[in-house]
This record gives sequence, C-alpha cells and structure tokens, in this order.
Amino acid sequence: MNKRHLFLALSLFCFGFWTWTSAQESSSPPVEEKQIEESPDLSAEFSLLQEEVKKLRLAVEEESAKAVTPVTIQIPKINVDTAIEQVGLLENGQMGVPADEDQVGWFEPGVKPGSEGNAVIAGHVDSKTGPAVFYELDQLVAGDEIVIVDEAGNTLRFEVTKTERYETANAPIKEIFGATDKRNLNLITCSGTFGSAGYDERFVVYTELVDAEIPLADDVVLDVPTNVELRGTFLTWHAVRNDAVIGYRIYQVIDGENVHIESVPSHARKSIEVPDEAATYYVTAIDRLGNESSPAEATE
Amino acid sequence: MKKKTMNKIVAPALALGLLVPLNAQAADHAPTASTPAGDLRATLDQLLSEHYVLAVTSMMKAYDGAADAEVAMKALDQNAVDMTPAIASIYGDEGAAQFEEIFRGHNDYSADFVEAAKSEDQELRAEAEAEVDEFVEEFSTFLDAATEGNLPKDAAADVIELHEDQVLSVFDSYVAGDYESAYMTYREGYKLMFDISKALSGAIVTQMPDKFDTPADTPAVELRSTLNSLAGEHFALAAIGMQKGYDQAEDFDYVSWAEDQNTLDFKAAIASVYGDEGAAQFEKVWNGNHITAQGDIVAATLEGDEAKIEEARMKLDQFAVDFSTFLDAATEGNLPQAAGQEAVMKHEALVLQTFDQYVAGDADAAWMSFREGYAFMFGLGETLGNAIVTQMPDKFAETTMPEEMPETGLGGAQAQSMNTLYAGLAVLGGILLAFVTLRNRKQSVQ
Repeated sequence: MNKRHLFLALSLFCFGFWTWTSAQESSSPPVEEKQIEESPDLSAEFSLLQEEVKKLRLAVEEESAKAVTPVTIQIPKINVDTAIEQVGLLENGQMGVPADEDQVGWFEPGVKPGSEGNAVIAGHVDSKTGPAVFYELDQLVAGDEIVIVDEAGNTLRFEVTKTERYETANAPIKEIFGATDKRNLNLITCSGTFGSAGYDERFVVYTELVDAEIPLADDVVLDVPTNVELRGTFLTWHAVRNDAVIGYRIYQVIDGENVHIESVPSHARKSIEVPDEAATYYVTAIDRLGNESSPAEATE
Repeated sequence: MKKKTMNKIVAPALALGLLVPLNAQAADHAPTASTPAGDLRATLDQLLSEHYVLAVTSMMKAYDGAADAEVAMKALDQNAVDMTPAIASIYGDEGAAQFEEIFRGHNDYSADFVEAAKSEDQELRAEAEAEVDEFVEEFSTFLDAATEGNLPKDAAADVIELHEDQVLSVFDSYVAGDYESAYMTYREGYKLMFDISKALSGAIVTQMPDKFDTPADTPAVELRSTLNSLAGEHFALAAIGMQKGYDQAEDFDYVSWAEDQNTLDFKAAIASVYGDEGAAQFEKVWNGNHITAQGDIVAATLEGDEAKIEEARMKLDQFAVDFSTFLDAATEGNLPQAAGQEAVMKHEALVLQTFDQYVAGDADAAWMSFREGYAFMFGLGETLGNAIVTQMPDKFAETTMPEEMPETGLGGAQAQSMNTLYAGLAVLGGILLAFVTLRNRKQSVQ
C-alpha cells in the first residue's frame, strides 16, 4: 500500500480504507488446536473434498469465534438503533460507505463482528442537509455498550475501550482494520472541519466483545432427508438442499438398536448397498458443525 | 476425420435397417425382432431419442456456460446430419435433402431459447416460439407428403408439438431450479421419441409393403424397442449423471433419481418376461456393482482417490460377469454368458471413456464417446430381445391375421338363412320382454 495513494483516498472520501488482500492475510489466524478438538471429527467420517474441508474449518472457526453477519446495531447511549448495510471496497481501494445516511455500513470483506480481528462499521456524521446516524458518536466513552444483532436474532455485546481522533491522512489503518487476537468492533465517522476535500479528521470508537448470546449448535434444525427408499438391497434418498450439509449417516436397526453402518459424503451419489434387505434403515443429514437431522425411515 | 467416425457409429444399424433384402428373414416364421421393419424402427428409435437427449443436454450446458456446451451442440447437429442417409434410403436423395433442411434448421432455435433465458429477453423467446410453430407446420406437412398420408399431418403436428413443448419444459424447469419437474418431464419426453419412432416407422412400413413384409409393431419388435429405450436411457443418464456429479451440479441428485426410475422401469420389463423373482434378481445385480460403482468412481475422482477408483472399476468388471451370468440363466443360454459379458464390458468401457475424457477436459472426444456409447445400447436391445424371443417363441408369436373376412358362403341357401335370422330375433325379443316384466314385478313387490 503506498502512502500517497492512501492519502489521496482518505482526503477524497469521508471514511478510511483498507485493502482486502492484506486484511485477508493478516486476519485469518491459524485455527487453534483446541477448537479442532472440540469440533466433531467429521473429516475422518466423511471423505470430504478440499473445498468442504475449508468450509468446515471456517465453520468451526466462526462457531467458536461467535461471529455473526450483522444486520442491526444498537447504541443505547446515543439512541442509535438502525440497520446495517454491507459495504466493500471501492475501485480506488477505499472502504465503501452506506447509501442511506441513517444506516451504517459493515466492511464485509473484513472480519465478522465476534470473530478474532477488527470488524469495522462506518456511519455518516451528517448529510448535506443535517445530522446523520453517527452525529453523536463522539459522546461515547470507555465502558459504553454497542449491541450487534444478526438475522437469526443472535446478539453480541461490545464495550467501548477507547476513542481516538485522527487527521484523515494519518489514521492508523492497521490498528483500525488489521489483525488482532481480540474480538474487536471499531466504529468510524467523520469529524473536524469540513473543507473542499471533506472533513479533515476521523473519529474512531474502539470496542471489544464482552458477551455473546448465540444458540447452541443443538438448536439448529436440519431438514430431514426425503424419499428414503429401500429396493432390494439398494437404499436411496434425496439430498437435503442446504450448503451446510456435508453428508449423511445410515443406521440399521439390529436387535432393536440403531447401529450406524455407513456415512456418505454430500458429493457422492445418494445411494448405498445395504447388507440385509429385510432390515429397517434410517438416514440422517449431518452439517458442518456436526448437527444431525431427525432420522428418516426407509420405505419400500 | 471426426465426422467419419460419427457416421460409422450409425452405419451398422442403417445397413441392417434399410439395405437387407427381404428374403433374409427366416422362412419358418419363427418370431424375430430382426425384421426389416424392426431394423427401421430401431434406427429411428436411436436417432430420434438421441436427438432429444442431445437437445436437452446441450441447452442445459449452454445455459450454464459449460466449457463443452458448443461441442454438445455440434453433436446435436451431427445427429441431424446422420438422419439424412436413413431418410435417403427410403425417400431418395431429394426427399432426404428436403428433410435435412427442415430438421437440421430447427436445432438452431434451441440456442435462441437459451439466449432468451440468459438475458431474460421475452421478445427473443416469443420469436423462437414462433419459429418452432413454423417448424411444426413445415415438418408435419413434409411427413404427411413423404408417407403419402400414412402419417397424417394433424397427427404428426400434434406429436411434434408435444415434443417441442417437452424440450422447452425441461429447460424452463432447469432454469427455474425445479429439478424434480425437469427430470420428470425429461423422462416423459424421452419416451415420447419412441412413440414418434413407432408412428413414423409404422407409416413407412404401411406405405412400402414391398420393402417391409412384416409390421413395425410385432410383439418381438415391441420388445426390442422397449429394451432399446431402457438401455439408451440408462446410458444417457449414467453418462450425464457422472458429469453432473463431477461438476457437483445442483441437479446431480435428480439425475440419480431419474436413473433409479429407469432401473424400476427396466425391472418391470424384466418382470413381464421372467416374473417378480427374476426381476428382483435383476435389480440386485444391476444396482450392486453397477449403479453404485459408477457413483463411487465419480466420488473417488473428486477425492483424487486412485485406489477407490480402481476398486470401483473392478466392481464394474464383476458386474459384467454377474449380469451376463444372470442373462444366460434367464434366457436359458440364448444369450450366452461370454457374449453377454463382452457386451456389458464394452458398454462400461464406453461409459468410463466418456467420463474420463470429460474429466480430462477433452470435450470433442467425450461427446464422440457419448454418441458411440449411446448407439451401442441399440445393439443390446436387439441381441437381448432376440434371445428372449427365441427362448419364448409362443409369447412373441405373431398372430397371423387376414386383411379381410373370408368368403364363407356362396349364396345358395340365402332365403332360408334369412328366415332363421328373423326367427332368432323373435326369440331374443321374447326373452327380453320376459326379463323386463320379471324385473318390474320384483320391484313392485319390494
């Protein structure tokens, strides 16, 4: 990233920027061993494709990181309760801004709120006609609360650790957007004096995750495989159309017990040869986090 | 070079279907599926159903922007070109040229439908639909004239229109992501091609009694056509399903489902000949080391697991042994095990070749193998069909029927016989009257 480029971008637009590639490299710390151990050993059970393994790691990482895709932000102290837009990178390398001055923009190419790293949300201080959503952002002090909610109602609580005011050209991009082992959420708006090149300062609120209310994985309801049919010794079923599904478990009832006899990865044909055509069989779907659907009994 | 190979694929069927002299048929009237009419129908079965499979598949590929979309479209065109010699052998070069112009041209519309779907261009869609209507009109007129009214224009138009509707319906459902409807219609549309082939070959046979001395719908020929349909559909779904599996296409599971439905139809056909027990045996052999093994090869290829691929290939070899043993036993040696094994191995080799070339990114080779593998199935229908017919001649005996009632009287006793008739009617009337009276009385008692 070159200094002149950075200065130009910051001076033309209100918000700070970051380049996605550097954010990517630095914000994806290796998955801790502890997390892998906690997750079910699905890659041993299902012969997963590389792409699936990547998704599995990501899912485990996100689950343990309590990350959410934010849809609402609440800042009780300054009466903010608004929707969150997703913003990306503009062509000049600058972070995008929300289209609506009364909403805020989450920098989607960066990390999700709740995961390790610095998630960033920006909001306008004013519009051409008057105050906008983050007009009173500079009222926040250490200890104030920020609440982030996702589509499913999962709620994350962040606490302000400090606030800083920077000259636009000298804002510490890495501190605001870069990697950290903490779960931070940083809020940005404009401040200072408005001139021909926009505001000359940026106000940044640094916050850290203090509490997360996320339903346990057990609460996830996976669709049950349908059309489970046994023809002779040929057991077939229809796939569960959900990207999170990584495979299926097949159970045979032996002496009144449900015995797990085979696992079929989601990329394979949804059929197997079973040992006993007179037995009863059940099929369940398994997602990346090891959630298992209710069993579907095979009919003839 | 490539074109030559393509032509060669169709050549054996054509040679049998259209050039064999009439007296080649066995003189003892033992039923057989290998009659000139049977061969004609098999040729049309193959070319028309292949047209359908290639049309639908290439439209899906084009919509997806698949790397082999253009090659699949070329295969569709080559199929149309291959029909020309078949038509020429019946209606001469001029008729064939006319046919080719009409038929080959209609394949172009499929590209318009794809483009219209991609760009959501209602106008282009309407234009393409209008062109299809025009094609239906033109082609049905041609068929009526060529068959001298044996395939009447209205009947032809109805069935061609239905075919076009089904192709579009499969495509539209595919675009909408409604794969269940797509493959349900796919199967219906596939079967319709054999109905079209039956109607057309029947019309030609009726038109040219000198060329074709037996009908196109004898029980033996029906069996051959049924087996061709089932075998051809199996190949198409196996080959396309493996590609969809390798691509992890969204409709992969639905192709598997269609494949399983094809198995059920095959099982029903076997049941009609060998009963339920034979059919259950068939199903077990068919799925065990065959359908399952083809699925394993796709999964193992994705996983890069060479050992698992090898294991699945060995399963297919075992299937060739098991299935040919089953057929030998079922047909009581009329389809000898060794011959059966060779044919099944050849089929599996063509399925795997098509898949391997597809995985290697060699679309030209893959689609040539697809066409070769598809054509190969139509030889199996004849071989297996004849084995069954030879085994059960009574079941497939053609009921010999005269065209007119016999002249079984010379008129000498006409007056008397008329009196007898009147007397008979009088008696019948009396019985009826008595019956009605009895009924009424019964009702009034109640």
